[in-house]
Parts: sequence; C-alpha cells; structure tokens
Amino acid sequence: MRLEDPVATAGWQAELVLGFQRRGARTVLVTRRHDGPLVVQKPLYPEGEAVCHTIVVHPPGGIAGGDSLQLDVEVGRGGHALLTTPGAAKWYRSAGAWARQTLALRVAPGAVLEWLPQESIVFDAARARLSSEVHLSGDARFIGWELICFGRSGSGERFTRGSCRLSNAVFRDGRPIWLERGHFDGGGKLLASSAGLRGQPVTGTLLAVAPEIDDALLGACRQQAPLRGEGAVTRLPQLLVARYLGDSSEAARRYFTALWSILRPALAGREAQEPRIWRT
Amino acid sequence: MSTITELARLLQLASPTLPVGAFSYSQGLEAAIEAGVVHDRASAEQWIGELLELSLARMEAPILVRLIEAWRTDDAAGAARWNETFLASRETSELRAETVQMGYSLCALLAQLEDAAPLVAMEEPSFPAAYAYVVARWGIAPQAALVAYLWAWLENQVMAALKAVPLGQTDGQRVLLSLGARLEAITAEVEALEDDDLGACAPGLALLSARHETQYSRLFRS
Repeated sequence: MRLEDPVATAGWQAELVLGFQRRGARTVLVTRRHDGPLVVQKPLYPEGEAVCHTIVVHPPGGIAGGDSLQLDVEVGRGGHALLTTPGAAKWYRSAGAWARQTLALRVAPGAVLEWLPQESIVFDAARARLSSEVHLSGDARFIGWELICFGRSGSGERFTRGSCRLSNAVFRDGRPIWLERGHFDGGGKLLASSAGLRGQPVTGTLLAVAPEIDDALLGACRQQAPLRGEGAVTRLPQLLVARYLGDSSEAARRYFTALWSILRPALAGREAQEPRIWRT
Repeated sequence: MSTITELARLLQLASPTLPVGAFSYSQGLEAAIEAGVVHDRASAEQWIGELLELSLARMEAPILVRLIEAWRTDDAAGAARWNETFLASRETSELRAETVQMGYSLCALLAQLEDAAPLVAMEEPSFPAAYAYVVARWGIAPQAALVAYLWAWLENQVMAALKAVPLGQTDGQRVLLSLGARLEAITAEVEALEDDDLGACAPGLALLSARHETQYSRLFRS
C-alpha cells in the first residue's frame, strides 16, 4: 500500500467491459461484462437499428476516495454506439485517497463511437483522477466531451482543497493526435489565472475526431455560442476541439449539444437526436 | 568546445535575430489584450508570468529537456516520440502552426549550416525538437539551453507586449527583470518533473488562442 493512497483498497472497484459489433444493419452489444457497481441498462435503438444507445450507470451515484471505475469499450468494424450517463457524476470529498475513473475506448475502421456523459461535479476536497484513452483505427470516428464543475457551484461551494487530475488522449493507428493533461489543485493558481479557469467553476472540452474536418464544418461550429460563459472552437489535424469556460454546466451542455447536432450529420451521417435520459 | 565558444553558440541560438520568425507570434497575448485581460505593465507581467509557470514550465520546457537528452544520445526514435507528444499537446490550430513553422525554419536554416540529417528526417519537427537538436549538435550544456529557451520565450512575449499593449521600453525591462528572477526556481521545477506529471491544461489560454484565429484586427499570427 502506498503512503499517498492510505485507503485505496477500501473503496468500490468497478469495471465494465462493453463490446459492440455490427451484425447486418444492426449494431449489437455483444460483450457486456461487469465486476462491481458499474453496469449498463438494456441497449436502446431510438433511431433505428444502426446505432446502439447505451446508458452507463454507476448505482452508488457518487465516487469516493479509494473508488475506482474502469470502463472499456470496443466498437467493431462498421458499428455505431452512443454512450451516455443518467446523471451527473459526483466526486465526493476525500480524506486522502484518490478516486479514479479510467476510460479505454477502441473504435475500428468504419465505426463511430459517441461518448456523451453528463457532467462531473468535483466536490471541494475531492481527490479525483479522470483519464481517458481513445484508440482509433483507420477511418474510425469519435465524438466525445467532458464537462467538469469544480465545487458544488449551485450551492456556492468552491474548490478550495483537494485535487483533480485530468488526462485525455486520442490516438489514431497508435499515433497521438490529442493529449491533454491538467492538474487542478483546490485553491491553486490554475483555478484563478486568466490562462486557467479564470475563477470560473465549469470547464468543458468537446472533441470530434475524423479523418477530415472541413472548413464549412469549422465555420458552422464557430457560429455557435453558449448562452452563458464563453466558448471557442479550433481545428487541429483530424480534430475539432470546442471549449467552454463559465459558471453553468447547463449552458455548457447546451452549447456542446448544439455543436454535436452540427457535427454528427457531417461526421457520422446521422441527424442528432438527444437521448431521452438527458431530459429526465 | 571552450566555455566561451559554447556561450557564444547559445547566445546565437537563443537570439531574437535567429531567423525563425518568433517575432510574428504572441501565443495568445494579443487575444488577451483584445479581451481586456492584459492592459498595462502589471497585467502583462501577470499574464506572461502565469503562462510561463502554468503552461510553458509544465509541458513545453520539460519536453525540451527530454528532446535534448534524446538528441544527445542519438536516440532519433525517442526524439520523434517526444516531438509527436508535443505536437499533440498544442491546444489550438495557431499554437500548433506556430511551433511547426518555427521548427521548419530552424531545420531549413540548420541544413545549410551543419549536418542536420537526423532532424531533416523527422516528420514535422516542432520548434523545441529543432532547438534541442542544435543544442546537442553544438555541445551546449542542457541546463543552460533550457534557461536560454525560457528566456527567449520571455523576451519574445515582452517584445510582443511592447508593440501590442503597448508598453514603454523601460516597462518592458522591468517585466524582464522581475520574471527573469523567477527562472531559477522554474528551471529547478522543470528539471524535477516526472513524465507522469507533465500536463499544462490551460482552458483560458486555449479559449483566447482559439478566439484569436477569428480576431478581426491583429498584428500577430498567434
């Protein structure tokens, strides 16, 4: 047991493995294996057979120091899966142990994966590590976002202690196309700095990865703006990146949803249809 | 190489006269001015100082250290990996284009002065990858090369502030004096960072830099 991790083994250890395969015109959830409290509900097909919608549920509802959630997803050749969550993920204050969420997402040639979770609320004094690796092969496409709210800002709580470490990476055929790591210490300089969070509680990043992002798509995305807070869009090789910085998770989610509804038809050939769970 | 020649080489490499076009980039400073974040000497010093500490020192500088080490040990594959990592960590189109253009220019220059084959063979060398190659090739001490890199960045930011805020020459020198005094501590931090600790997510910078791409009136390319 490591010193900085005094009660790491005391928490929930949860692992969920999902495998999607294309069978004829249908994307089927063929592998569903879980260990601990991280499960999926019955797959849904609200937009026909081609896209499998899956809701990833963490029944305890909150993530405490020492907890570890691991989600592995693989979408086979030609498949299309959309994953979301039923509510905000709450990262509770910790006496010292880190809480972890680790995503490993693999997408085969011709396949699409959408990872559109609701926001993560990092309570004051939480110690949270959120990391994701997306591995794309061939012409695979991916749209995903991450929304973080530092402190329960609705009740005026600020993130004054603890730490949140974010790590997101996207690879295509083994080569990195996006790497971002952030170390946000409660009460730290990065939270206050104009180059950092500027004192705002909510930050978010949307990534849309495809072999080609054309000028028209970039231009259309730039026309969007959040109702509260600030947003901006940039384009990197094979990648469109949108960011949000402000005080409203709701405004961030609406902004990203608006962008998604522009990106999805262009990159995945389908109109965006909001998962019903977002409205409950 | 004698210490004096080594110093002369380092001054040449880190000089604003190095023809790589550094002067044409503000790395978000111009957008910070447009947004009202930077408007006088104190706010310029704060912005530049925070970028130095929260961004440069957490990713670009520690990657430079690794690139120098890779080139010094003739590890072209290692240098290529760190170069890819650096490019994938650029937050916006402009910040990526900047380092690729400066890397390309330094590489092209060097090919006329030296044996630069390993660097020329690298796919899309970033500026730190090219700078690190020169450091290894000219036998410059890694720590001195790191300090000079940070200093050159600082000087370039202050020159951009002189033009764009604008600030007077004396104020520019005050900012350099003040931030220059922080380089010792920052160098130590950079050298102590483990691979797992690299990470410079700076949402405010990323947002401003992305905005700059569509800013109506501008002097700088980033």
